[in-house]
Amino acid sequence: MIHINPSNAQPIWSQIEEGVRQLVARGVLLPASSVPSVRELAKELRVNPATISKAYRRLTDEGILEVRRGEGTFVSTSPPSLSNDDRQKRLTHAASNYAAVAITLGAAASEAIDCLQQAYSEIDEVSR
Amino acid sequence: MTGTNQPIAACAKGVSVHYGATLVLDALDLQVPTGGVYGLLGRNGTGKSTLVRCLLGQERPSRGHLELLGLDSWRHRPALMRRVGVVPETPQVPPRANADELLAMGSRLYPIWDVDEAKRRLRRFSVPSDVSFGRLSKGQQKQVELALALAQRPELLVLDDPSLGLDSVARKVLYEELLEHLAESGVTVFLTSHDLDAVERLVETVAILHRGKLLVEEPLEDLKRRFRRISLREGEALDSAIPAVLQRTSPWGREAVVAHNLQSIPESFSHEGHAMSLEEIFEALVGTETAGGES
Repeated sequence: MIHINPSNAQPIWSQIEEGVRQLVARGVLLPASSVPSVRELAKELRVNPATISKAYRRLTDEGILEVRRGEGTFVSTSPPSLSNDDRQKRLTHAASNYAAVAITLGAAASEAIDCLQQAYSEIDEVSR
Repeated sequence: MTGTNQPIAACAKGVSVHYGATLVLDALDLQVPTGGVYGLLGRNGTGKSTLVRCLLGQERPSRGHLELLGLDSWRHRPALMRRVGVVPETPQVPPRANADELLAMGSRLYPIWDVDEAKRRLRRFSVPSDVSFGRLSKGQQKQVELALALAQRPELLVLDDPSLGLDSVARKVLYEELLEHLAESGVTVFLTSHDLDAVERLVETVAILHRGKLLVEEPLEDLKRRFRRISLREGEALDSAIPAVLQRTSPWGREAVVAHNLQSIPESFSHEGHAMSLEEIFEALVGTETAGGES
């Protein structure tokens, strides 16, 4: 299930991209399983098909999805191989977002790290 | 149009419309890129309908000119109407005719006319084809009008406030039908609407009409990146270098809405202040006072 909030500042394609990435990371979408067509998802989420296409294109470029001509779009069979640099950048970016939230909420570093550890093991467990 | 690389489906250049002493459109420029959904927003009485009529060549502006698909709207109206599908704000369909009869009429009027697809469309939404148009529900009437507009396989589809007066289910069905069509065709859609949630989901380019001019005309994504709401501390003044759209006192204290240029959005911008929905940006730009007449 992907939820989008059109009035969110994050562009809709980015919300979809993140939603799919989450589903793959959590193992809800398994490698080689098919994902909804652009048209299906556009109707389901009631957004412009071009928006879905953009999210799918980005996910395909990232190696999370793959398009098989005539068959549809699938979750990749092999996990995406990012360059170390790219991987590092993304981790840092996500981490600073999380840190900002934690600080805003007045959480100490130790509390934030505990929380992160717990979330990590929960998702990791499910996706095994 | 010259000077742009992107193909243009519709444009207005320096368009002014006077009704007596009232200036409805004021040297307005507009550009609808080909192959996307373009949403025109504006409060009632801001001249949206006038602009749509001018675009469709139904009304001649006092000054300036308009083009659809590269042709002058006014001079080439008959030829253009074979390539442009229109769902007007108020139906212009003979109310006694039923959907079957309307579809038969269309096949005599238009060189391309996909009756089968139109019938499939109406069946999908259980619109009876043997009941006269005037006796259908408002939602069904819009479905028929959309089916008629799409039957000619238009290059440009103009929808003038299509969800006006529809309940939420009828609205959902109408947009689903539109999305279905968007998924399979490269049609350009020009949409005016008060339904900001739908606009936010559908459009790629958004324009806001106010006092006869477009206040903004840009990709929705860019618009939302440029705007933030910032809370000001007691006695704090907004840096005069920051372009503020408005400052006001809310129940939480003073706040400002700021809009940067896309090229000069500061690094820190995404962290400070609150991102705004299209509705909030719209209200900040056009104001919320309830004065103003109907057009």
